[in-house]
Amino acid sequence: MAPGDLNLLESGDSLRQPLTGIRVLDLSGELGVYCGKLLADVGADVIKVEPPGGDTMRRIGPFLDEADTWENSTHWRHYNTNKRSITLDITSDKGISLFRRLADTADVVVESFQPGYLDSFGLGYQHLKDDHNGLIFASLTPFGQTGPYRDYLGSDLVGFAMGGYMYVTGWPETPPNKLWGNQAFQTTSNRAYIAILIAIFHRLATGDGQYIDVSMQEAVATTTEHVNTAYNYTGESAVRCGFRHGGQFVATWQCKDGFVSITTNTQKAWDDLRGWMDRDGMAGDLMEEQYDDRFILRGDHGSHIEELVEAWTLTHTREEITEWGQANHHPWGPVSTASELLDNEQLWDRGFYQKFVDPHTALEVIYPGAPYKMSELGWRLVSQAPEVGQHNNEIYCGELGLSDDELQESINAGII
Amino acid sequence: MPVSSDVPQLALKGIRVLDFTWIHAGPSATRILADQGAQVIKVESNQALSVVGGPASNTARGLGQRHNWNAGKSSISLNMKTDAGKELARRLVSVSDVVAENFSGRVMPSWGMDFESIAKIRPDIIMLSMSGFGRTGPWKDRVSYGQTLQAWSGFTDLTGFPEFKPSGPASAYSDAVGGMTGAQAVLLALIQRAQTGRGQWIDVSQMEAMSSLLGPLVLELSSNNTDVQRTGNREHYGRGSPHGVYQCQGDDRWLAITVFADAEWEAFSCAVGSPEWAKDDRFSTVASRLKHADELDKLVGSWTADQIAEDAMHLLQQAGISAGVVQTGKDMAEDDPHLRERGIFQPVPDAGGVMRTIERAPYKLTLTPGEVTKGAPEFGADQDFVLREILGVSDEELAEMAIAGAFD
Repeated sequence: MAPGDLNLLESGDSLRQPLTGIRVLDLSGELGVYCGKLLADVGADVIKVEPPGGDTMRRIGPFLDEADTWENSTHWRHYNTNKRSITLDITSDKGISLFRRLADTADVVVESFQPGYLDSFGLGYQHLKDDHNGLIFASLTPFGQTGPYRDYLGSDLVGFAMGGYMYVTGWPETPPNKLWGNQAFQTTSNRAYIAILIAIFHRLATGDGQYIDVSMQEAVATTTEHVNTAYNYTGESAVRCGFRHGGQFVATWQCKDGFVSITTNTQKAWDDLRGWMDRDGMAGDLMEEQYDDRFILRGDHGSHIEELVEAWTLTHTREEITEWGQANHHPWGPVSTASELLDNEQLWDRGFYQKFVDPHTALEVIYPGAPYKMSELGWRLVSQAPEVGQHNNEIYCGELGLSDDELQESINAGII
Repeated sequence: MPVSSDVPQLALKGIRVLDFTWIHAGPSATRILADQGAQVIKVESNQALSVVGGPASNTARGLGQRHNWNAGKSSISLNMKTDAGKELARRLVSVSDVVAENFSGRVMPSWGMDFESIAKIRPDIIMLSMSGFGRTGPWKDRVSYGQTLQAWSGFTDLTGFPEFKPSGPASAYSDAVGGMTGAQAVLLALIQRAQTGRGQWIDVSQMEAMSSLLGPLVLELSSNNTDVQRTGNREHYGRGSPHGVYQCQGDDRWLAITVFADAEWEAFSCAVGSPEWAKDDRFSTVASRLKHADELDKLVGSWTADQIAEDAMHLLQQAGISAGVVQTGKDMAEDDPHLRERGIFQPVPDAGGVMRTIERAPYKLTLTPGEVTKGAPEFGADQDFVLREILGVSDEELAEMAIAGAFD
């Protein structure tokens, strides 16, 4: 058994996942690698096509056990679960011809090169679809395949900036801020995954494949909740306002042991909050009639109220405040720090976290689990990320019909 | 059999969704399905009129959100506290493919609409249940808003600058994520049903959907003894500098710039006019630029301070540098020529014929592009169509149901 193939289950109809039988060629970089994982985790046979020597995403840290090797990148390991790996130089003549043979066996291609890059090798959708009407081909790029910025480059940070999410995130006194992690890339992958599933469903009915164009800027711009509607319906751009969400009283307060999120989304929540402050003798003048309306919190009295509320939250713990709120059906909760994420009893109880012994460090590594629970067999973590070219032999010889000599020749020539 | 590809097709035409969802996450999930031709019937209630994005939202923004997340749908009003209302809902289940809801866990069972019960009415039904924490486990009855989940899942504490209080995401990222996740699961279930004939129950915990997006951090926390903190606009695992936003000419105008490899740094230096500081040894390699990132940020800021953000973006992009304006709502709606050409915003008529701007789906499918032809429905606007034409309810029955309070 190869090191990555842990926990392999026997195949058979009882283990049929939604995308069992769908083959995906994953040529994507950071923008689309999560899309490939999403497809692989629900049963698609996703083949990660790495350049000979290995994908540069393997160099993105932090590294498991802080051991900087080509197999220990937490980034690589997370985003390539359940995939198989082959190496191939798709810029060489032989590589192009091998990729075309692979594409004939595939249902979906996912790529995130600059627009036109694959076309320049004769590997674009236009070149592959003629012999393969059912092919679904998804291109993920920073700005899409058309329009004046189509050739512009886009990191995760730039995606957040151009998509309008960044301008509103942060405090009025700070620069605009991105969300933690590579959420612009992941949002693009999430959107592309939706489009691919739509295309697969359509193909089941008609046999027809199609081309899909996904832009990071648009993926982010349609994920902001209020930025576009605020401008389009009021004529004013939303601004950074820290924890004050959408003019409602959604706030993060400092307490004894960190921060707590309090939402006075109903009149009862506001009355309970000031009632509890009053119980502790800390409501100041907030019990007066002029503060009865919870929408007072949007107005000029905001800072006066904030001072009183925070003076009170500072005398309690996150847990105390959370429990009072939740017991009364208010959506309140603690601001968890990174070090607390693996202590979440609800996530463990539902079997969200998945443990695997890492073959390279022998550590027990925890992975995030299913984003959705389905009563039929849906999401499964079957194998950890592959080693560089781990499945070359299996796929080139076993499935594509290359002889051992042909494979060796291509390896020697640096094509595989 | 392949069909003609000449006319744009609707991938989900013929799929009917009975949609009990409200607020943001649920309606944004079913909007994704409506875009592709699914017939989405919102089941609304007089009880929830004032919720943001609800039918009676009295702010312009609430109106905008209602149109954005409910465009293309139909609406009926049912009072699920009456037997007649529940009976109508069950009849609607019998002619639906998908039932979607995002109430707290007690609500659907109290109406006799838990998965087991509705699967008796329609054996291949797909039921999407979305909630903050999922329908099992010790926290199944806890309640949450987007901000609660962002706080609890770690996003709030991790988003912000180290020297300031955490700000968290500005808006309900977790609701948008919940919407995407819910739609993905329904599409998977439709694909599965097309092959097996079986329906199923989907349990989306938005907490789990959010935790999935912390990805590599989970692996890191489980294996390394590290103390992970928020990093402003720098990457958790820094791979290059400059990597941040830099203030430009004008009021609150900023440019995001990211430079990684040495070749990019050289292109950047050249594009900004090869100033003396750019030749400094402190900035000659990726490692040294990361080490002196604070000083480098100040120097880059001294260059952008005299620039117009858009001009600087074009200059840097033409030099092969990933740079982008920190765009405002106005920038995107009015000034960005690229978004305009791509057509990300779409005007659709509301019930009164007033054009309402909504966001288009952020993917272009060539064969099944989808379409939205109308804004959000008025509350209960499609009562007649749904009850008479879909269910075939007679006038007499309608009158009886009305007397029994089914529509109040």
